[in-house]
Amino acid sequence: MDQLLAALDDSWRVLVLGIAIGAGLPTLFALGVKSLAWGLGGDVERHAAGEFPKPHLPGRIIAYTLFAIVILVAALGITYIVAHGQGWVITFDGIVPVFTPK
Amino acid sequence: MTPELFLLAIVCLTALAFDFTNGFHDTANAMATSIATRALTPKAAVALCAVLNLVGAFLSVEVAITVTNAVIRIQNSDGSPKPELMTDGGFPLLLILMAGLAGAIIWNILTWLWGLPSSSSHALFGGLVGATVASMGWDGVKWVGEGNHLDGVIGKVVLPALASPVIACIVAAIGTRLVYALTSKIAENYRDNFFRRAQIGTASLLSLSHGTNDAQKTMGVITLALIASGTWTDLAEIPFWVKIACAVAIASGTFIGGWRIIRTMGQGLVTVSPPQGFSAEASSASVILISSQLGFALSTTHVATGSIIGTGLGKKGGKVRWATAGRMGMAWLITLPLSALVGAICWFIGHLIGGWGGAFAVFGLIVVAATYMYIHSRRTAVGHHNVNEEWEADEPDEFQRHNEDDDEEDED
Repeated sequence: MDQLLAALDDSWRVLVLGIAIGAGLPTLFALGVKSLAWGLGGDVERHAAGEFPKPHLPGRIIAYTLFAIVILVAALGITYIVAHGQGWVITFDGIVPVFTPK
Repeated sequence: MTPELFLLAIVCLTALAFDFTNGFHDTANAMATSIATRALTPKAAVALCAVLNLVGAFLSVEVAITVTNAVIRIQNSDGSPKPELMTDGGFPLLLILMAGLAGAIIWNILTWLWGLPSSSSHALFGGLVGATVASMGWDGVKWVGEGNHLDGVIGKVVLPALASPVIACIVAAIGTRLVYALTSKIAENYRDNFFRRAQIGTASLLSLSHGTNDAQKTMGVITLALIASGTWTDLAEIPFWVKIACAVAIASGTFIGGWRIIRTMGQGLVTVSPPQGFSAEASSASVILISSQLGFALSTTHVATGSIIGTGLGKKGGKVRWATAGRMGMAWLITLPLSALVGAICWFIGHLIGGWGGAFAVFGLIVVAATYMYIHSRRTAVGHHNVNEEWEADEPDEFQRHNEDDDEEDED
Protein backbone atom coordinates (compact mmCIF):
# COMPACT_ATOMS: atom_id res chain seq x y z
CA MET A 1 0.00 0.00 0.00
CA ASP A 2 2.84 2.38 0.87
CA GLN A 3 4.39 1.55 -2.48
CA LEU A 4 1.19 2.36 -4.33
CA LEU A 5 0.83 5.70 -2.56
CA ALA A 6 4.47 6.54 -3.22
CA ALA A 7 4.01 5.72 -6.90
CA LEU A 8 0.86 7.84 -7.09
CA ASP A 9 2.65 10.70 -5.39
CA ASP A 10 5.52 10.53 -7.89
CA SER A 11 3.18 10.05 -10.86
CA TRP A 12 1.28 13.15 -9.94
CA ARG A 13 4.43 15.28 -9.92
CA VAL A 14 5.73 13.76 -13.16
CA LEU A 15 2.36 14.46 -14.75
CA VAL A 16 2.23 18.14 -13.73
CA LEU A 17 5.82 18.85 -14.78
CA GLY A 18 5.33 16.72 -17.86
CA ILE A 19 2.37 18.81 -18.98
CA ALA A 20 4.27 22.04 -18.25
CA ILE A 21 7.32 21.05 -20.29
CA GLY A 22 6.19 18.18 -22.52
CA ALA A 23 3.02 19.88 -23.72
CA GLY A 24 4.31 23.40 -23.18
CA LEU A 25 7.26 23.05 -25.52
CA PRO A 26 5.25 21.98 -28.60
CA THR A 27 2.77 24.74 -27.77
CA LEU A 28 5.50 27.38 -27.72
CA PHE A 29 6.84 25.98 -30.96
CA ALA A 30 3.38 26.08 -32.56
CA LEU A 31 3.01 29.68 -31.38
CA GLY A 32 6.34 30.40 -33.04
CA VAL A 33 5.20 28.86 -36.32
CA LYS A 34 1.97 30.85 -36.12
CA SER A 35 3.79 34.12 -35.37
CA LEU A 36 6.19 33.52 -38.21
CA ALA A 37 3.30 32.89 -40.58
CA TRP A 38 1.79 36.22 -39.55
CA GLY A 39 5.21 37.84 -39.71
CA LEU A 40 5.90 36.64 -43.23
CA GLY A 41 2.46 37.25 -44.64
CA GLY A 42 1.54 36.00 -48.09
CA ASP A 43 0.12 32.57 -48.60
CA VAL A 44 1.61 30.97 -45.54
CA GLU A 45 -1.54 31.56 -43.56
CA ARG A 46 -4.92 30.79 -45.05
CA HIS A 47 -6.76 33.97 -46.05
CA ALA A 48 -9.74 35.15 -48.06
CA ALA A 49 -9.34 35.14 -51.83
CA GLY A 50 -8.26 38.42 -53.39
CA GLU A 51 -6.40 39.87 -50.41
CA PHE A 52 -2.68 39.60 -49.75
CA PRO A 53 -1.66 39.50 -46.07
CA LYS A 54 1.21 41.95 -45.35
CA PRO A 55 4.38 40.82 -43.58
CA HIS A 56 4.74 41.98 -39.96
CA LEU A 57 8.12 42.54 -38.29
CA PRO A 58 6.81 41.95 -34.73
CA GLY A 59 5.56 38.55 -35.87
CA ARG A 60 9.00 37.58 -37.02
CA ILE A 61 10.64 38.87 -33.84
CA ILE A 62 8.18 36.99 -31.61
CA ALA A 63 8.63 33.86 -33.70
CA TYR A 64 12.41 33.82 -33.48
CA THR A 65 12.27 34.56 -29.74
CA LEU A 66 9.95 31.60 -29.23
CA PHE A 67 12.14 29.32 -31.35
CA ALA A 68 15.15 30.45 -29.31
CA ILE A 69 13.35 29.49 -26.09
CA VAL A 70 12.49 26.05 -27.47
CA ILE A 71 16.11 25.50 -28.55
CA LEU A 72 17.31 26.67 -25.13
CA VAL A 73 15.06 24.17 -23.36
CA ALA A 74 16.28 21.39 -25.68
CA ALA A 75 19.89 22.42 -24.95
CA LEU A 76 19.08 22.22 -21.24
CA GLY A 77 17.77 18.72 -21.88
CA ILE A 78 21.07 17.71 -23.47
CA THR A 79 23.01 19.32 -20.63
CA TYR A 80 20.85 17.42 -18.19
CA ILE A 81 21.51 14.06 -19.89
CA VAL A 82 25.26 14.71 -20.06
CA ALA A 83 25.53 15.94 -16.46
CA HIS A 84 23.41 13.06 -15.21
CA GLY A 85 25.59 10.58 -17.11
CA GLN A 86 28.70 12.17 -15.61
CA GLY A 87 27.27 11.49 -12.18
CA TRP A 88 26.48 15.08 -11.26
CA VAL A 89 23.57 15.90 -9.00
CA ILE A 90 21.13 18.31 -10.58
CA THR A 91 18.88 20.35 -8.35
CA PHE A 92 16.59 23.23 -9.16
CA ASP A 93 16.69 26.63 -7.53
CA GLY A 94 13.26 27.80 -8.62
CA ILE A 95 13.53 27.00 -12.31
CA VAL A 96 17.28 27.59 -12.53
CA PRO A 97 19.15 24.29 -12.70
CA VAL A 98 22.13 23.89 -10.36
CA PHE A 99 24.76 21.28 -11.24
CA THR A 100 26.86 19.80 -8.43
CA PRO A 101 29.54 17.14 -8.92
CA LYS A 102 29.02 14.16 -6.62
CA MET B 1 41.30 -21.89 -21.87
CA THR B 2 40.33 -23.11 -18.41
CA PRO B 3 36.69 -24.15 -17.77
CA GLU B 4 36.24 -21.15 -15.41
CA LEU B 5 37.39 -18.72 -18.05
CA PHE B 6 35.23 -20.38 -20.69
CA LEU B 7 32.19 -20.03 -18.44
CA LEU B 8 32.92 -16.36 -17.81
CA ALA B 9 33.45 -15.71 -21.51
CA ILE B 10 30.11 -17.26 -22.36
CA VAL B 11 28.30 -15.15 -19.74
CA CYS B 12 29.93 -11.96 -21.08
CA LEU B 13 29.06 -12.88 -24.65
CA THR B 14 25.44 -13.52 -23.65
CA ALA B 15 25.29 -10.18 -21.85
CA LEU B 16 26.55 -8.43 -24.98
CA ALA B 17 23.97 -10.30 -27.05
CA PHE B 18 21.31 -8.98 -24.68
CA ASP B 19 22.70 -5.47 -25.10
CA PHE B 20 22.43 -5.91 -28.86
CA THR B 21 18.74 -6.95 -28.63
CA ASN B 22 18.21 -4.02 -26.26
CA GLY B 23 19.50 -1.76 -29.04
CA PHE B 24 17.28 -2.95 -31.88
CA HIS B 25 14.29 -3.31 -29.61
CA ASP B 26 14.42 0.32 -28.58
CA THR B 27 15.28 2.09 -31.84
CA ALA B 28 11.55 2.53 -32.33
CA ASN B 29 11.11 4.48 -29.10
CA ALA B 30 13.20 7.35 -30.38
CA MET B 31 12.79 7.05 -34.13
CA ALA B 32 9.43 5.46 -35.04
CA THR B 33 7.51 8.72 -35.40
CA SER B 34 10.34 10.53 -37.21
CA ILE B 35 10.46 7.71 -39.73
CA ALA B 36 6.67 7.66 -40.07
CA THR B 37 6.44 11.39 -40.79
CA ARG B 38 9.48 11.22 -43.09
CA ALA B 39 11.36 13.75 -40.98
CA LEU B 40 14.26 11.35 -41.49
CA THR B 41 14.74 8.55 -43.99
CA PRO B 42 14.68 5.14 -42.29
CA LYS B 43 18.40 4.61 -42.81
CA ALA B 44 19.38 8.09 -41.61
CA ALA B 45 17.17 7.65 -38.54
CA VAL B 46 18.77 4.41 -37.38
CA ALA B 47 22.26 5.76 -38.13
CA LEU B 48 21.63 8.92 -36.09
CA CYS B 49 20.10 6.90 -33.27
CA ALA B 50 23.03 4.46 -33.26
CA VAL B 51 25.65 7.22 -33.11
CA LEU B 52 23.84 8.98 -30.25
CA ASN B 53 23.46 5.70 -28.38
CA LEU B 54 27.20 5.15 -28.74
CA VAL B 55 27.98 8.65 -27.51
CA GLY B 56 25.48 8.24 -24.67
CA ALA B 57 27.01 4.96 -23.55
CA PHE B 58 30.41 6.61 -23.21
CA LEU B 59 29.00 9.69 -21.54
CA SER B 60 27.77 7.86 -18.53
CA VAL B 61 30.34 7.24 -15.84
CA GLU B 62 27.81 6.27 -13.18
CA VAL B 63 28.62 2.79 -11.99
CA ALA B 64 25.59 0.54 -12.46
CA ILE B 65 27.09 -2.36 -10.59
CA THR B 66 24.09 -2.72 -8.28
CA VAL B 67 21.65 -3.06 -11.19
CA THR B 68 20.20 -6.40 -10.01
CA ASN B 69 19.48 -5.06 -6.53
CA ALA B 70 16.21 -3.54 -7.75
CA VAL B 71 14.51 -6.92 -7.99
CA ILE B 72 16.67 -9.73 -6.62
CA ARG B 73 18.95 -10.47 -3.69
CA ILE B 74 22.17 -11.78 -5.19
CA GLN B 75 24.29 -8.76 -4.24
CA ASN B 76 25.00 -6.82 -1.07
CA SER B 77 24.08 -3.17 -1.04
CA ASP B 78 27.63 -2.16 -2.01
CA GLY B 79 27.37 -4.34 -5.12
CA SER B 80 29.57 -7.22 -3.95
CA PRO B 81 28.03 -10.66 -4.60
CA LYS B 82 26.46 -12.59 -1.72
CA PRO B 83 29.16 -14.97 -0.38
CA GLU B 84 26.93 -18.06 -0.64
CA LEU B 85 26.82 -17.56 -4.41
CA MET B 86 30.60 -17.32 -4.65
CA THR B 87 31.38 -20.97 -4.04
CA ASP B 88 32.77 -23.09 -6.85
CA GLY B 89 34.42 -20.18 -8.64
CA GLY B 90 31.26 -18.07 -8.57
CA PHE B 91 29.32 -20.66 -10.58
CA PRO B 92 25.96 -20.21 -8.75
CA LEU B 93 25.95 -16.48 -9.48
CA LEU B 94 27.17 -16.84 -13.04
CA LEU B 95 24.45 -19.37 -13.77
CA ILE B 96 21.74 -17.01 -12.43
CA LEU B 97 23.07 -14.22 -14.66
CA MET B 98 23.36 -16.56 -17.64
CA ALA B 99 19.81 -17.93 -17.29
CA GLY B 100 18.37 -14.47 -16.59
CA LEU B 101 19.99 -13.07 -19.71
CA ALA B 102 18.72 -16.04 -21.72
CA GLY B 103 15.15 -15.30 -20.60
CA ALA B 104 15.53 -11.65 -21.53
CA ILE B 105 17.07 -12.32 -24.95
CA ILE B 106 14.51 -14.93 -25.97
CA TRP B 107 11.65 -12.68 -24.88
CA ASN B 108 13.15 -9.68 -26.70
CA ILE B 109 13.52 -11.59 -29.96
CA LEU B 110 10.05 -13.09 -29.66
CA THR B 111 8.40 -9.70 -29.14
CA TRP B 112 10.46 -8.33 -32.01
CA LEU B 113 9.12 -11.14 -34.19
CA TRP B 114 5.60 -10.09 -33.18
CA GLY B 115 6.51 -6.49 -33.88
CA LEU B 116 5.61 -5.48 -30.34
CA PRO B 117 7.55 -2.91 -28.34
CA SER B 118 8.21 -4.25 -24.85
CA SER B 119 10.59 -3.03 -22.22
CA SER B 120 14.07 -4.57 -22.38
CA SER B 121 14.73 -3.75 -18.74
CA HIS B 122 11.55 -5.54 -17.72
CA ALA B 123 12.64 -8.54 -19.76
CA LEU B 124 16.05 -8.48 -18.04
CA PHE B 125 14.47 -8.16 -14.61
CA GLY B 126 12.00 -10.90 -15.48
CA GLY B 127 14.71 -13.30 -16.58
CA LEU B 128 16.74 -12.60 -13.44
CA VAL B 129 13.70 -13.03 -11.20
CA GLY B 130 12.94 -16.41 -12.78
CA ALA B 131 16.51 -17.64 -12.51
CA THR B 132 16.72 -16.43 -8.91
CA VAL B 133 13.48 -18.12 -7.86
CA ALA B 134 14.71 -21.35 -9.44
CA SER B 135 18.02 -21.10 -7.65
CA MET B 136 17.29 -19.49 -4.27
CA GLY B 137 13.52 -19.83 -3.87
CA TRP B 138 10.92 -17.06 -3.55
CA ASP B 139 12.90 -15.29 -0.84
CA GLY B 140 15.68 -14.53 -3.29
CA VAL B 141 13.42 -12.03 -4.99
CA LYS B 142 12.65 -8.57 -3.67
CA TRP B 143 8.94 -8.44 -4.43
CA VAL B 144 7.90 -5.25 -2.64
CA GLY B 145 10.05 -2.35 -1.44
CA GLU B 146 10.01 -1.20 2.15
CA GLY B 147 7.88 1.75 3.26
CA ASN B 148 7.45 4.44 0.64
CA HIS B 149 10.81 3.85 -1.01
CA LEU B 150 9.81 2.43 -4.40
CA ASP B 151 11.70 -0.82 -4.83
CA GLY B 152 11.35 -4.46 -5.77
CA VAL B 153 9.25 -6.01 -8.51
CA ILE B 154 6.18 -3.97 -7.52
CA GLY B 155 7.91 -0.62 -7.04
CA LYS B 156 10.44 -0.78 -9.86
CA VAL B 157 8.55 -2.74 -12.49
CA VAL B 158 4.79 -3.09 -12.02
CA LEU B 159 3.81 0.37 -10.76
CA PRO B 160 5.99 2.35 -13.20
CA ALA B 161 4.64 0.21 -16.05
CA LEU B 162 1.09 1.13 -15.07
CA ALA B 163 1.81 4.82 -14.55
CA SER B 164 4.02 5.60 -17.55
CA PRO B 165 1.66 5.07 -20.48
CA VAL B 166 -1.10 6.99 -18.71
CA ILE B 167 1.10 9.98 -17.88
CA ALA B 168 2.68 10.12 -21.34
CA CYS B 169 -0.69 9.74 -23.01
CA ILE B 170 -2.18 12.72 -21.14
CA VAL B 171 0.84 14.94 -21.78
CA ALA B 172 0.96 14.12 -25.50
CA ALA B 173 -2.80 14.53 -25.93
CA ILE B 174 -2.74 18.01 -24.38
CA GLY B 175 0.29 19.03 -26.44
CA THR B 176 -1.24 17.76 -29.67
CA ARG B 177 -4.56 19.47 -29.04
CA LEU B 178 -2.89 22.83 -28.37
CA VAL B 179 -0.58 22.55 -31.37
CA TYR B 180 -3.46 21.87 -33.72
CA ALA B 181 -5.57 24.65 -32.25
CA LEU B 182 -2.76 27.16 -32.78
CA THR B 183 -1.74 26.13 -36.28
CA SER B 184 -5.14 25.40 -37.79
CA LYS B 185 -5.00 28.30 -40.24
CA ILE B 186 -1.48 27.72 -41.47
CA ALA B 187 -0.75 26.03 -44.79
CA GLU B 188 -0.16 22.38 -44.11
CA ASN B 189 3.11 21.94 -46.01
CA TYR B 190 4.66 24.97 -44.40
CA ARG B 191 3.62 23.86 -40.91
CA ASP B 192 4.71 20.26 -41.40
CA ASN B 193 8.21 21.22 -42.50
CA PHE B 194 8.77 23.07 -39.23
CA PHE B 195 7.53 20.19 -37.14
CA ARG B 196 9.61 17.67 -39.09
CA ARG B 197 12.75 19.64 -38.30
CA ALA B 198 11.81 19.94 -34.64
CA GLN B 199 11.20 16.21 -34.49
CA ILE B 200 14.81 15.48 -35.38
CA GLY B 201 15.83 17.40 -32.27
CA THR B 202 13.56 15.55 -29.86
CA ALA B 203 14.37 12.18 -31.46
CA SER B 204 18.08 12.88 -30.92
CA LEU B 205 17.44 13.80 -27.31
CA LEU B 206 15.63 10.51 -26.75
CA SER B 207 18.41 8.50 -28.42
CA LEU B 208 21.13 10.12 -26.34
CA SER B 209 19.20 9.57 -23.15
CA HIS B 210 18.67 5.90 -24.09
CA GLY B 211 22.41 5.42 -24.59
CA THR B 212 23.28 6.84 -21.18
CA ASN B 213 20.71 4.66 -19.40
CA ASP B 214 20.48 1.30 -21.06
CA ALA B 215 24.07 0.43 -21.95
CA GLN B 216 24.89 0.90 -18.27
CA LYS B 217 22.71 -2.02 -17.23
CA THR B 218 24.70 -4.51 -19.30
CA MET B 219 27.95 -2.94 -18.10
CA GLY B 220 26.75 -3.61 -14.55
CA VAL B 221 25.84 -7.23 -15.31
CA ILE B 222 29.18 -8.00 -17.00
CA THR B 223 31.16 -6.37 -14.21
CA LEU B 224 29.19 -8.40 -11.67
CA ALA B 225 30.09 -11.57 -13.59
CA LEU B 226 33.76 -10.55 -13.58
CA ILE B 227 33.63 -9.96 -9.83
CA ALA B 228 31.90 -13.30 -9.23
CA SER B 229 34.62 -15.13 -11.13
CA GLY B 230 37.33 -13.24 -9.28
CA THR B 231 38.87 -11.57 -12.33
CA TRP B 232 37.82 -8.07 -11.18
CA THR B 233 37.62 -6.70 -7.66
CA ASP B 234 36.95 -2.96 -7.88
CA LEU B 235 33.33 -2.17 -6.95
CA ALA B 236 33.60 1.47 -7.92
CA GLU B 237 34.94 1.08 -11.41
CA ILE B 238 33.93 -0.71 -14.61
CA PRO B 239 36.72 -2.15 -16.79
CA PHE B 240 37.21 0.02 -19.85
CA TRP B 241 36.89 -2.85 -22.32
CA VAL B 242 33.46 -3.62 -20.84
CA LYS B 243 32.41 -0.07 -21.52
CA ILE B 244 33.61 -0.19 -25.13
CA ALA B 245 32.06 -3.60 -25.76
CA CYS B 246 28.67 -2.57 -24.34
CA ALA B 247 28.61 0.74 -26.17
CA VAL B 248 29.41 -0.96 -29.47
CA ALA B 249 26.89 -3.75 -28.85
CA ILE B 250 23.97 -1.43 -28.11
CA ALA B 251 24.86 0.92 -30.96
CA SER B 252 25.16 -1.85 -33.52
CA GLY B 253 21.86 -3.30 -32.34
CA THR B 254 20.31 0.12 -32.80
CA PHE B 255 21.85 0.43 -36.26
CA ILE B 256 20.38 -2.92 -37.37
CA GLY B 257 17.03 -1.32 -36.57
CA GLY B 258 14.13 -3.29 -35.15
CA TRP B 259 12.08 -2.55 -38.25
CA ARG B 260 9.13 -4.67 -37.21
CA ILE B 261 8.74 -2.68 -34.01
CA ILE B 262 9.39 0.64 -35.74
CA ARG B 263 6.62 -0.23 -38.16
CA THR B 264 4.14 -1.07 -35.40
CA MET B 265 4.90 2.10 -33.43
CA GLY B 266 5.07 4.41 -36.45
CA GLN B 267 2.18 3.03 -38.49
CA GLY B 268 0.28 0.49 -36.42
CA LEU B 269 -1.03 2.65 -33.58
CA VAL B 270 -1.75 6.06 -35.08
CA THR B 271 -1.23 7.54 -38.53
CA VAL B 272 1.23 10.15 -37.31
CA SER B 273 1.48 13.64 -38.85
CA PRO B 274 4.55 15.83 -38.18
CA PRO B 275 2.84 18.00 -35.51
CA GLN B 276 1.71 14.81 -33.79
CA GLY B 277 5.17 13.31 -34.10
CA PHE B 278 6.77 16.32 -32.46
CA SER B 279 4.17 16.47 -29.69
CA ALA B 280 4.62 12.77 -28.98
CA GLU B 281 8.40 12.99 -28.86
CA ALA B 282 8.45 16.16 -26.77
CA SER B 283 6.13 14.39 -24.35
CA SER B 284 8.32 11.25 -24.24
CA ALA B 285 11.56 13.15 -23.78
CA SER B 286 10.26 15.37 -21.00
CA VAL B 287 8.38 12.63 -19.14
CA ILE B 288 11.49 10.40 -19.20
CA LEU B 289 13.87 13.13 -18.04
CA ILE B 290 11.49 14.43 -15.37
CA SER B 291 10.79 10.97 -14.00
CA SER B 292 14.49 10.19 -13.84
CA GLN B 293 15.11 13.46 -12.00
CA LEU B 294 12.36 12.63 -9.48
CA GLY B 295 13.77 9.15 -8.93
CA PHE B 296 10.69 7.41 -10.38
CA ALA B 297 12.38 5.90 -13.42
CA LEU B 298 9.84 5.04 -16.11
CA SER B 299 10.47 2.66 -18.99
CA THR B 300 11.19 4.43 -22.28
CA THR B 301 9.12 1.91 -24.21
CA HIS B 302 5.99 2.46 -22.16
CA VAL B 303 6.38 6.23 -22.23
CA ALA B 304 6.97 6.36 -26.00
CA THR B 305 3.96 4.15 -26.70
CA GLY B 306 1.74 6.15 -24.34
CA SER B 307 2.80 9.36 -26.08
CA ILE B 308 1.93 8.01 -29.53
CA ILE B 309 -1.51 6.88 -28.34
CA GLY B 310 -1.99 10.25 -26.65
CA THR B 311 -1.20 12.12 -29.81
CA GLY B 312 -3.82 10.07 -31.65
CA LEU B 313 -6.39 10.96 -29.00
CA GLY B 314 -5.38 14.64 -28.91
CA LYS B 315 -5.95 15.31 -32.59
CA LYS B 316 -9.57 15.97 -33.48
CA GLY B 317 -10.73 13.14 -35.67
CA GLY B 318 -7.51 11.27 -34.94
CA LYS B 319 -7.82 7.52 -34.70
CA VAL B 320 -6.05 5.04 -32.46
CA ARG B 321 -5.90 1.40 -33.56
CA TRP B 322 -6.89 -0.08 -30.24
CA ALA B 323 -6.42 -3.64 -31.45
CA THR B 324 -2.69 -2.97 -31.79
CA ALA B 325 -2.58 -1.10 -28.50
CA GLY B 326 -4.37 -3.98 -26.80
CA ARG B 327 -1.84 -6.51 -28.07
CA MET B 328 0.96 -4.29 -26.76
CA GLY B 329 -0.72 -4.06 -23.37
CA MET B 330 -0.93 -7.84 -23.25
CA ALA B 331 2.75 -8.13 -24.15
CA TRP B 332 3.64 -5.76 -21.30
CA LEU B 333 1.60 -7.76 -18.81
CA ILE B 334 3.31 -11.02 -19.70
CA THR B 335 6.84 -9.66 -20.21
CA LEU B 336 7.91 -10.24 -16.62
CA PRO B 337 6.23 -13.63 -16.02
CA LEU B 338 7.25 -15.12 -19.37
CA SER B 339 10.85 -13.98 -19.36
CA ALA B 340 10.94 -15.24 -15.76
CA LEU B 341 9.64 -18.61 -16.91
CA VAL B 342 12.29 -18.88 -19.63
CA GLY B 343 14.93 -17.73 -17.12
CA ALA B 344 13.86 -20.40 -14.63
CA ILE B 345 13.81 -23.18 -17.23
CA CYS B 346 17.26 -22.17 -18.45
CA TRP B 347 18.54 -22.19 -14.89
CA PHE B 348 17.29 -25.75 -14.35
CA ILE B 349 18.87 -26.89 -17.59
CA GLY B 350 22.19 -25.27 -16.68
CA HIS B 351 21.99 -26.62 -13.14
CA LEU B 352 21.22 -30.21 -14.15
CA ILE B 353 24.07 -30.35 -16.64
CA GLY B 354 26.32 -28.33 -14.35
CA GLY B 355 29.65 -26.58 -14.87
CA TRP B 356 30.62 -24.86 -18.09
CA GLY B 357 28.68 -27.51 -20.01
CA GLY B 358 25.47 -26.24 -18.40
CA ALA B 359 26.18 -22.67 -19.39
CA PHE B 360 27.10 -23.84 -22.86
CA ALA B 361 23.78 -25.69 -23.15
CA VAL B 362 21.87 -22.53 -22.19
CA PHE B 363 23.89 -20.58 -24.73
CA GLY B 364 23.07 -23.19 -27.36
CA LEU B 365 19.40 -22.87 -26.50
CA ILE B 366 19.52 -19.11 -27.08
CA VAL B 367 21.24 -19.61 -30.43
CA VAL B 368 18.68 -22.21 -31.55
CA ALA B 369 15.72 -20.10 -30.42
CA ALA B 370 17.13 -16.95 -32.02
CA THR B 371 17.88 -18.71 -35.30
CA TYR B 372 14.42 -20.27 -35.41
CA MET B 373 12.72 -16.94 -34.79
CA TYR B 374 14.93 -15.17 -37.31
CA ILE B 375 14.09 -17.71 -40.04
CA HIS B 376 10.44 -17.36 -39.09
CA SER B 377 10.68 -13.57 -39.43
CA ARG B 378 11.87 -13.85 -43.04
CA ARG B 379 8.38 -14.98 -44.06
CA THR B 380 7.08 -11.50 -43.50
CA ALA B 381 10.28 -9.52 -43.63
CA VAL B 382 10.10 -5.86 -42.59
CA GLY B 383 13.01 -3.58 -43.45
CA HIS B 384 13.82 0.01 -44.27
CA HIS B 385 12.21 -0.50 -47.70
CA ASN B 386 8.71 -1.27 -46.43
CA VAL B 387 8.66 0.09 -42.90
CA ASN B 388 6.39 2.96 -43.92
CA GLU B 389 3.90 1.02 -46.00
CA GLU B 390 0.32 1.68 -45.07
CA TRP B 391 -0.92 -0.42 -42.18
CA GLU B 392 -3.35 -3.01 -43.47
CA ALA B 393 -6.45 -4.04 -41.64
CA ASP B 394 -5.54 -7.70 -41.75
CA GLU B 395 -2.09 -7.16 -40.33
CA PRO B 396 -3.10 -8.12 -36.80
CA ASP B 397 -4.16 -11.56 -38.05
CA GLU B 398 -0.74 -12.02 -39.55
CA PHE B 399 0.75 -11.33 -36.14
CA GLN B 400 -1.80 -13.55 -34.52
CA ARG B 401 -0.60 -16.40 -36.68
CA HIS B 402 2.96 -15.84 -35.52
CA ASN B 403 1.64 -15.70 -32.06
CA GLU B 404 0.19 -19.19 -32.21
CA ASP B 405 3.22 -20.65 -33.96
CA ASP B 406 5.61 -19.29 -31.46
CA ASP B 407 3.92 -20.26 -28.26
CA GLU B 408 5.58 -23.62 -28.70
CA GLU B 409 8.93 -21.91 -28.82
CA ASP B 410 8.49 -20.80 -25.26
CA GLU B 411 8.17 -24.30 -23.92
CA ASP B 412 11.74 -25.09 -24.89
